[in-house]
Amino acid sequence: MATTSYPKLQETLWHEKLDNGLEVFILPKPGFTKTYATFTSRYGSVDNHFTRPDGTTIKVPDGIAHFLEHKMFEEPEGDIFSQFASQGASANAYTSFDRTVYLFTATHEVDANLDTLLHFVQNPYFTDENVEKEKGIIVQEIDMYRDNPDWRVYFGLIEAMYSRHPVHIDIAGTADSVRSITKEMLYDCYNTFYHPSNMTLFVVGGVDPEATLERVKRDQAAKTFAPGGEIKRLFEAEPPQVKDKRKELSLPVSLPKCLFGFKEESYEGEDPVRRELTTKLALEAVLGSSSPLYQQLYDDNLISDGFGHEYNTGPGYSFSMIGGETRDPDELAARVSQALYDAAKNGISSEVFERTRRKKIGAFLRMMNSPEAIASEFTRYRHKGGDLFKVVELYESLTPDEINERLKEHADPDRLAISIVRSGTA
Amino acid sequence: MSEQFQRGTLGRMRLHVLPTKRFKTFALSLFAGVPLTEEKVTSVALAPFVLRRGTQSFPETISFRERLDDLYGAGFGFDLYKRGDHQIVQFRLDMINDRFVSSSDSLLGEALSFLGEVLTSPALEDGKFRSKYVEAEKTTISKRIEAIINDKIRYAAERCVEEMCKDEPFRLLALGRKDQLAELNADKLYQAYRQWLQEASFDLYVSGDTTLEEVQALVEKSFRLPTGEPSRYAPPSLRPARSEVQTIVERMDVGQGKLNMGLRVGETYGSDKYASLLVYNGLLGGFPHSKLFMNVREKASLAYYASSRLDGHKGILTLQSGIETANYEKAVKIMREQLDAMKAGQFEADDLRRTQAMIGGQLRELQDSAFERIAFDFSNVMSGAERTGDSFIAEIQAVTPEMVTAVAQGVELDTIYFLRDRKEES
Repeated sequence: MATTSYPKLQETLWHEKLDNGLEVFILPKPGFTKTYATFTSRYGSVDNHFTRPDGTTIKVPDGIAHFLEHKMFEEPEGDIFSQFASQGASANAYTSFDRTVYLFTATHEVDANLDTLLHFVQNPYFTDENVEKEKGIIVQEIDMYRDNPDWRVYFGLIEAMYSRHPVHIDIAGTADSVRSITKEMLYDCYNTFYHPSNMTLFVVGGVDPEATLERVKRDQAAKTFAPGGEIKRLFEAEPPQVKDKRKELSLPVSLPKCLFGFKEESYEGEDPVRRELTTKLALEAVLGSSSPLYQQLYDDNLISDGFGHEYNTGPGYSFSMIGGETRDPDELAARVSQALYDAAKNGISSEVFERTRRKKIGAFLRMMNSPEAIASEFTRYRHKGGDLFKVVELYESLTPDEINERLKEHADPDRLAISIVRSGTA
Repeated sequence: MSEQFQRGTLGRMRLHVLPTKRFKTFALSLFAGVPLTEEKVTSVALAPFVLRRGTQSFPETISFRERLDDLYGAGFGFDLYKRGDHQIVQFRLDMINDRFVSSSDSLLGEALSFLGEVLTSPALEDGKFRSKYVEAEKTTISKRIEAIINDKIRYAAERCVEEMCKDEPFRLLALGRKDQLAELNADKLYQAYRQWLQEASFDLYVSGDTTLEEVQALVEKSFRLPTGEPSRYAPPSLRPARSEVQTIVERMDVGQGKLNMGLRVGETYGSDKYASLLVYNGLLGGFPHSKLFMNVREKASLAYYASSRLDGHKGILTLQSGIETANYEKAVKIMREQLDAMKAGQFEADDLRRTQAMIGGQLRELQDSAFERIAFDFSNVMSGAERTGDSFIAEIQAVTPEMVTAVAQGVELDTIYFLRDRKEES
C-alpha cells in the first residue's frame, strides 16, 4: 500500500492496485462524520461495440449500460436499497458516456455498507422476469427526459456534431432499444466490463485507511474472477466536420434554449487534463460572468443567469458547449462565437488570465469540501491518466500563451454547431 | 459534534458563529425574513436581484464580479424561498481560507465587508437604486417566473401548491408576481427596500476558522442596519384540508403526465410530534424502500420516480410521480392506498427501522457541510425548536409505530393535480 501526500491541500491519499486488477483509493478526512464510496466501471453509453478479452466482437443495443446499472440493484435476496437502508446508508448510481458509478453515503456501519457495495456490484442477478419488469420503469425515465428542454437541447447539440461516434446516442437509449434488451445481453456486458481490472473503488471520509484497505483486500481475495484482459472499444471513424450545423426542435418553453459549441478531433496526446483545464480557463476568461462580453449580453437581454459553458472529452470525442436561454439564439451564437474568434486573434490579456486563474483555483478548493465531488472528479481524472490533487499546481504552471494557443486551436468556425429548442408554432 | 454555534446580537441582527477548522472555506449565510404578503412579495423578491448588481464601492456589475474573482473566486449568490408563512432571502458567500493561498489580506474581513455592503450600501443614483439595474432585473425576474414551465416536474409541483393554497399567501411564488413588476421603479423599490431593512428578521451565520468576537468586530464595521432588537418569527398558521378533495387537470404539449397530490398535516417543525411526522414521510415516500417507490415503481412499473416530500415549516405534504397519461386512475388508486395503509398502521417494523436509520444518517451527515449545519440551525431559529443533531436523532429513534399511526390521522388529502398531454381534448 502506498500513500501520496499533497501538503498544499493538506490531504493524503492511500492507494493500491489489488491482485485482481482493482484500483483502490482511500482519502481519509479526519473529523468527518460521513463516508462516501464510489465503485466505478469504465463502461458507459458509448461502449456499445467492442471486442472482448476472448477475441469475440459484439454490438449491443443502445442504453444497455444504463439498463445494467438499474438491474444491478436487484439480488436474489431482494432489493439492495433496502439493505443499505437497514444500515442507514443512502445508495445510488448513475451512467454517463464513459462511466457507470455505484455509490453510497453512510455515517454508521461503514464496513457493512462497503461490503454491500462490493457484493451487489460483483453479483449480477438477471432473470427474464426482472429484466422485463424494468422496461416500463426505464421507458418512463426516457419519457421524463424527452419532456426536459435542457436535456433535449444538450443532446441536440451532440447529435448535431456527431454522425458516427456513439456519444450522440441517448444514454438511456430509446423505448425500442430498451425493449430489445435481454438478460443474456446484460450478462455479456457485465462479464466484459465489470471485471475488477476495469474498475476503481474510491472511499473518502471519516475512515481508518489501513483497516479499510485491508477489508477490501480480504473481500476481493475471497472472490474468484475469470482472468481479465484487454477490452477493445470499436468506434467507427468520426469525420472531423460537424454532422449538421444546426438542429432545432420544438417543446413548450418560455424562451428558446440554445447551446452551441466547437467539435474537436479526439485528443490522444499527452496530459489530457492539462488540455481540459486550459480550454475551460480560456472559455471562462472570454465568457465568464465577470467578462465585459457577459455583461453586454446581459444588458442586451440576450442571456440570463443560466448562461454558461462546459467542455467535454472522452474516448473518441471532445467538444465545447456554450449557451442558455435566450430571446434570439442566432444573435447570441453569432456574438459569442465572434468574441471567441476575436480573443483567439488578439489574445487574452495577462490581467484577465490571472483573475480567471484565481477564480478557478478558488472554485477548485471550494469543491474540495465536497466528498461527493472529490470522488467523482478524482475517478474521472484518473481515467484520463491525471491526478485531481495536482490541479492547483497545474493551474499555477499555465501561461497566458498556452491559453491563447488553445483558444486559437479550439475556436474553429468550421466546427461550430448550434442546437435550439423553442416553442412550436402550433 | 463538539463544535457549537456561538451566539451574539448586533442591533437587529442575530449572529451565529461556528468556529471550525474542518473546512477549507469560510461559509457565510445571511437570512432576512418577512411575512409573505400579497402586497410586498414582489418588491421583496426583486430587491436582492438589484443588490447583486453593485454596491457603493463596486457600483459597476463588472467591478463587483471582478472583486469576487479577486477574493479567490468567492462563491456568491442568493436564494428566495417560502418558509412557513414567511418569505426568506438568503445571501451566501463561500470563500477559501487564507491558509490555502499566499495572500496578505484577511479574506474573512474582506468577505464580511463585501456582504455588508451588498445588504446595506447598494449602488445608488440620486438617492435611489440605479434605474438601469432595476429595469434589467425586472426582466430577469419575469423570465425566471416564466421559465418555471420549462421544467415540468417543478411546474406541476408549483401548480399543485398554488391550487391547494389558493386562499392564502402561500400560493404566491417566492419570486413574486409578474403583474406587480411593471409598477415597481427605482424609487418605489428603494423605498420598499428601506422598509424591508426596518422590518425583516436578520440572522447572520459564519462558519470557519474564526470566533464570535472576531466576527462581531468585523460585522460592526461592515453592516449599516437600522438600530433595534432582533425580531422573532411568528409560528405558521395550520389549515385543515378542504372538506372535499379537489382535482385539477391541466393540459400541455407533454409526453409524460405529472401526477401530484397536496395534503395538509396536523403538525409543523416546532411541534414535539414533528419527529413522528418525518418518520411518517420516510415510510410513505422519502426513500427507495418507501411505499410509494415500492408500489408505484417497483411493483406496478408505472413510474421512474414516485416520492413524497414534507414541508414541515408550512405543514404540507406533497406526493409526486411521472406516469403515462393512460395510467392516471391506476396510479391515483395506488397512491391513495398507500395513504390509507399509513392511516391504518400497515407498515413493517423493518421498514420503520430502515426509515429511522436513514433519517439518522441524514442528520449525522449534515454535520459535514457548513451550509447544511447552518440551514438546520436556522430551522430551529425560525420555529423555536431547540434541537441539536444528536437530540433530534434520539427523537427519531424513539418514534414507535403507534406514534406514526397517530400523526397519520392528521394527514388529509386536499388536492390532486395532473399535468397531461392534449390527447382526446374535449
